[in-house]
Amino acid sequence: MDAISISNVTKTFKIFTERSSTLKDRIVKGRKNKYQEFCALNNVSLNIEKGQTVGFIGRNGSGKSTLLKLLTGILYPDSGQIRVSGKVSSLLELGAGFHPDFTGRENIFMNAAILGLTKKEIKKKLDQIIMFSELKGYIDNPVRNYSSGMYMRLAFSVAIMVEPEVLLIDEVLAVGDAAFQQKCMDQLRNMKQKGTTIVFVSHDLGAMEKLCDRVVWINKGKIVEDDKPKKVIDKYLEYLAIEEDKRLIEEAGEVNKQIEVKQDSSDSFDTNKENQHDEQRWGNRKVEITDVILEDFNGKKKMSFLSGDELLIRIHYKSWGFVENPVFGIAIHTLEHVHCYGTNTQIDYYKIDELSVNDVGEVYFKIPQLNLCGGTYLLTVAIHDENGLQYDFHDKKYSFKVTSLSNEVGIVKIDHHWDRSEF
Amino acid sequence: MYKKTVEIFKYRQMLESLVLTDLRTRYKGSFLGFFWTLLNPLLMLGVYSLVFKYVVRISLENYTAYLFIGIVVWNLLSQSLVSGATSVIRNAGLVKKIYFPKEILPLSVVLGGVINFLLSLVVLFPVLFFSNVKVGLPLITLPIILTVYFIFTLALTTLVSCLNVYFRDLEHILSVVVMAWFYLTPIVFTEDMIPAGLKSVFALNPMNPIVNGFHKVFFYNQFPDMIQLLWLGLLSIGLLIICYFVFGKLSRKFAEEI
Repeated sequence: MDAISISNVTKTFKIFTERSSTLKDRIVKGRKNKYQEFCALNNVSLNIEKGQTVGFIGRNGSGKSTLLKLLTGILYPDSGQIRVSGKVSSLLELGAGFHPDFTGRENIFMNAAILGLTKKEIKKKLDQIIMFSELKGYIDNPVRNYSSGMYMRLAFSVAIMVEPEVLLIDEVLAVGDAAFQQKCMDQLRNMKQKGTTIVFVSHDLGAMEKLCDRVVWINKGKIVEDDKPKKVIDKYLEYLAIEEDKRLIEEAGEVNKQIEVKQDSSDSFDTNKENQHDEQRWGNRKVEITDVILEDFNGKKKMSFLSGDELLIRIHYKSWGFVENPVFGIAIHTLEHVHCYGTNTQIDYYKIDELSVNDVGEVYFKIPQLNLCGGTYLLTVAIHDENGLQYDFHDKKYSFKVTSLSNEVGIVKIDHHWDRSEF
Repeated sequence: MYKKTVEIFKYRQMLESLVLTDLRTRYKGSFLGFFWTLLNPLLMLGVYSLVFKYVVRISLENYTAYLFIGIVVWNLLSQSLVSGATSVIRNAGLVKKIYFPKEILPLSVVLGGVINFLLSLVVLFPVLFFSNVKVGLPLITLPIILTVYFIFTLALTTLVSCLNVYFRDLEHILSVVVMAWFYLTPIVFTEDMIPAGLKSVFALNPMNPIVNGFHKVFFYNQFPDMIQLLWLGLLSIGLLIICYFVFGKLSRKFAEEI
């Protein structure tokens, strides 16, 4: 039997551009308010079996919380059907129903009552709730003095101790400290074993992978993926990386535009160019780096890569004079300016004999496997002569992002495997 | 309707919590505590007695006692309406975050009002005693009048509580309406003082039989007009069903509108 069944549910919100909700305005102006429609959920269907633990992931504003609210019965769908069977307990936001002036104990009674328990049932569970929340010392203090972590402890303790058949949790666990989070996770696992249906929204993908039987990825009000946690989370991360990439390229475009505009406006004085001091660029410009392009294995311009992907750096150059034995080099730094790696054509014995006047071309630097951990990296590109005289040096002028699907820490991914033998 | 009633019954513990919260927040932290609730009608009583007894010179034996009964009775309706109007908005935190039958919100306001009313009786009886007003057997009809009054108040409070979410200025309009209504009800005057030509107009006021009933029981030591009350009771139940229907329709969008 399905504990939750959602069929063809659509929910739109009206976003009022100009809001007035007074009787006077309605009568005097006699018109309806102007509004735009925002479709939070678009024809969503989903069935959750009894005892399943399902996680919802998606970017902010994708409709996860709306769906959870529909399940609780706080919101009603515009069309479609929602059926939830069994006692539902939900933890949508911290401190809903807490009264700041009352003590923790009084609030437990109130909150549990709100969740539909009778006084007798609450009394029976009171000690358990207080014990779980670890707030024994503060339980008779007014909750206005509680920290947000304490609020969450209390709310969570009440919500799970009512022993619901269906538990709905919106991203609230993040407030607790590590120990309490662990305890919550254990408790959730416990409930899961007892056959509680759990639906939760979280951005903690690690926890989600550990706890869920199934993960549903929602984007722009539609279900994109609904499958095993690992599978969906990987796809989701990949999507995030692509989105991030688009944003970075857009941003870079904006910055370039601004620079161009600046240069255009700076008249025809030749000296201006030199006066325009660029902290990150120096050299005599006998050979100039005209562009640096990062590409993936498809030859697509990118600024965000998955760890292990191929990365191609294309360095466009133009020489203004005759130079012998130019050396092209690159370096990669972390945001904290830790030097991760650096090399040049000289070190690698890749000889470029000479460049004559007005030569234009490009040099490729290919990384078949980008073995870096997740994070943002700064890229330095330079052209100089054999002795280190700089023609054009772009110090950490470029950056790219690496997203990792695994949770290793550090900077470099070292190829490895684990093994074990007993003596 | 039946399903809703069962559900509200299931949430009775929450209802109790809300009523107690309401009562306690009203008294907690205030030095005079419970006496604040009595202070309001007592002050009103003082002002009205002064004006109507000595300035307008209404000649009625024990006018103060008569006035006090009316004011205490009226307070239940006026406070329920005014406080009920904002009850949904005040509890936005609950409405937006958890599911519960929203009908509980106006219901808790009215129940709180009833408790206040009963507590006021504690003061009313000494006043009656010192004014030498006799009360007796007709007191047994008190639960009947109160029940009718309760249903009537609940119906109106439920209606304004949901309408106020959509028309926020309703609460301001309401205070004017309540004031006008106060003067159209025999509280500061007696029914006999209404000119014969206007009697039919005043008869339309549904608060008339209720306030009259209380006056009869507490002031005249007479049995109230039961048939009139019965009619009003039926009317109130009908009204309540309509109001609950409207509330049910409108409450679906509460979480978005607040």
